[in-house]
Amino acid sequence: MKYLITLLFLLFINITSASVTTDLSAPNFELVDSHGKNISLSNFEDNTIVLEWTNHDCPYVAKHYATGNMQNTQEQAKEEGVVWLTIISSAPGTQGYVLPDKANELTSTRNAEPNHVLFDPEGGVGKMYGAKTTPHMYVIDKKGVLRYQGAIDDAGGRSFWTKNLLEADNYVKNALSDLQNKQEVSTKVSKPYGCSVKYKS
Amino acid sequence: MKKLYTIGHNVRLAALLLLISFFPAKSFTGSYFDTGESSINLITESYQVNTKDTLLVGIEFKLSPGWHTYWKNPGDSGEGATIKWDLPPGFKASDILWPGPERIPVDPLMTYGYEDKALLLTKIETPEQFSGPVTISAKVNWLTCKHICIPQEGEVDITLMKGSKTIGKFATKLKEIALTIPKNFPTPSRVTEINEKIFLQFEKEGSSNISEAYFFPNEYGLISYVKDQKLETNDNSFSLQLDPAEVRVETNKLEGVLKLKIDETEEFYKLDLPLEGASGSPILAMSLLTGIVFAFLGGIILNAMPCVFPILSIKILGFIEQSQGSKEKLIQHGLIFSAGVLTTFLAISWLLIFLRASGEAIGWGYQLQSPWVVSILIYLFVAIGIVFMSNIVLGSSLANFGSLAKNRNDLLSSFFTGVLAVIVASPCTAPFMGPALGLALLQPGLKSIAIFLALGVGFSLPYLMLSIYPQLLSRLPKPGEWMQTFKQIMAFPMWAAALWLAWVLSAQVGMQSVFAVLVGALLIALALWLIEKTQSSDPFLRRISMLFSLGIIIFSVWLIPFNQEDNSSNLRNEVNNFSDQKLSSLRSEKKAIFVNFTADWCITCKVNEAIALDQDNVKNLLREKNIVYLKADWTRKDQEIASILARYGRTGVPLYLLFPSEGDPIILPELLTENLLLDFLNKIN
Repeated sequence: MKYLITLLFLLFINITSASVTTDLSAPNFELVDSHGKNISLSNFEDNTIVLEWTNHDCPYVAKHYATGNMQNTQEQAKEEGVVWLTIISSAPGTQGYVLPDKANELTSTRNAEPNHVLFDPEGGVGKMYGAKTTPHMYVIDKKGVLRYQGAIDDAGGRSFWTKNLLEADNYVKNALSDLQNKQEVSTKVSKPYGCSVKYKS
Repeated sequence: MKKLYTIGHNVRLAALLLLISFFPAKSFTGSYFDTGESSINLITESYQVNTKDTLLVGIEFKLSPGWHTYWKNPGDSGEGATIKWDLPPGFKASDILWPGPERIPVDPLMTYGYEDKALLLTKIETPEQFSGPVTISAKVNWLTCKHICIPQEGEVDITLMKGSKTIGKFATKLKEIALTIPKNFPTPSRVTEINEKIFLQFEKEGSSNISEAYFFPNEYGLISYVKDQKLETNDNSFSLQLDPAEVRVETNKLEGVLKLKIDETEEFYKLDLPLEGASGSPILAMSLLTGIVFAFLGGIILNAMPCVFPILSIKILGFIEQSQGSKEKLIQHGLIFSAGVLTTFLAISWLLIFLRASGEAIGWGYQLQSPWVVSILIYLFVAIGIVFMSNIVLGSSLANFGSLAKNRNDLLSSFFTGVLAVIVASPCTAPFMGPALGLALLQPGLKSIAIFLALGVGFSLPYLMLSIYPQLLSRLPKPGEWMQTFKQIMAFPMWAAALWLAWVLSAQVGMQSVFAVLVGALLIALALWLIEKTQSSDPFLRRISMLFSLGIIIFSVWLIPFNQEDNSSNLRNEVNNFSDQKLSSLRSEKKAIFVNFTADWCITCKVNEAIALDQDNVKNLLREKNIVYLKADWTRKDQEIASILARYGRTGVPLYLLFPSEGDPIILPELLTENLLLDFLNKIN
């Protein structure tokens, strides 16, 4: 009995503390999107899903969009029938926090192709997934298992600002191709790079 | 003051920046560059330098108050600066020499960098020949951050004359910073991973007072940046307890910078250590398929292991009896039994996954680490033995577990026999099983469940075969009087199992608690006898005896100890508790003695015990060389032990003393390793 209580307790702690483990089930969540709809991860059973943490004012995110690298990745995802969820965990009053109209405007002016832009102003989902930077990417397979987490590509590091992102090794694209070919994802974890997520403090 | 650009909140500007960075303006700009939020200045120890010389130069960052820039590992977010040198032919620039960083928390994240100012050093080597004056220039990319980050870029240069180095106005500043560049740690150090904690340990000399320590890892994925690091200082060593990263990246070494505050001065040391006790074991080389096959074979063999034998005997009895019934029923029982086995294996694998996810160190048989489970099993085995011996027909409510063997054919009892078989089998490891389970414990969820299920299928296969092909049973004798005798004989392995469990229990709890459980077992016997005695009495008397028996059983369960009372050291059973008197008398008998001064709260002690003292080689050598092991437990600070620590110039634990049969004791280092300890033990006598 006591064992059971301890177990439940540990389980609870495990949920409240951050981070997710690659090759285990990705935790479900529900957030409101930029059109006011409630979107839950479980809406997309049998779909591969990409989660992208973003903050449009973060210079790292800006470079990924300005060079078309993010849109290019979204395009490959779209061709493969992958659901792309862009998540904003910036708290109100912090960098990257936007209202729905602004979010939709950003999507259209940047020619971005997310299926939904989701708002996480309380930061609960971001912390649950252990999202640390913008961008920070996660790939979830059709069975709901997390297969990749980390940076979008290998361009991070101190020479990021001088690199051509379209020539970088894109971990998200690689993971999507591996899943498409029913192969084990070759790079499962990488160090995310970018601005800190502007969580509510 | 030049202002090249500042990135605002506009994407188009960012695009512009890219264009600029692809076509950098190539003009001589001077040594100073200001962006508004921050400035950089290229400074040198001397504006004159000879051939084949080394010149210390630096990029000095000045940031607006409250702004920061990053170290080479920025922590959870950000990026350190890059310096791209443009040098005359033959000149060479070193990598950036990074001064020790500070922690800059950005809740809930942690970053590493420099606040307000930073000086990044570079050593420039001059060639055998050059003709002055020469210009060296640096293109610098860096982030200036507060709540938000601004990427900045600037180019600075200086002109150098040819000639002997002079002492320029920046020389002192540069040399001062050069002294803070992390140097190699002077005394032995090591890093060990035990039970999801990483322990960094260092020897120290003298009485230097370390008031603060922090380890900055070079790489992502080993250490959590945000978690606190716990410092423990001992007399001749100190330890840092680190939490592993939330997302791990496989590695076998630990590199980074250690910051120490020693008597109010800050010092930085470079560390590059192999990670000991890393989880990357050869078991991982086994494929999942091999794991499943091994688990299956292991499961079959598990049936023949001694701990499963009593259950095996029950099951065989059951089969002999049931073989008289219909074939369908037999198959049904076999299937239900297998379902019980598989359900239990599944439950165990889920439990393991949960416990592992929550950071518990666990292994096969962990359920027997709970004294409560062990005690209940003791009662159960005693009870089953008595039921075998007597003619009790148990009431249906109590019967699920108790009447496993006989009298009832209901499917539930088959199911629970399966459950029981697995629980009892858990302390046993059959051939093939070890590596398969090792693999299962390292595998993510589903794969580990697959291995456990394969084990379960293997385990229940013999019964399943018997129930599907009952003709196999026809070789067994027909039921009859002999079964009564056989059943009674089978009571003995049951009681033997209870004895063995009592021994297991004695390793977990004190003698008094074991005694309480044995009294409980006696009471269980009494309760069962009462039930049997009044089986055919009138209903009133029967009810009274039932009630009384139930009370006795509840009381027995209440007697069970709940928690492990002592799980401190594996050496426990061989431990003699230390006393000064015991030491003196052993000394007068000319015995060799090893004394371990330890405490439950002492991190260093626990690591030493795990990696050195508890190793089989050490225990065997102690036994072989007839060295008496004494443990002085200072968990509750005890005056007698304190005075002995003081005798050896110590104020606390750990302290390891090795007394040869004659002569002065050897004081062992505070950081033990298995080999080091074996060497010392081999040296004496």
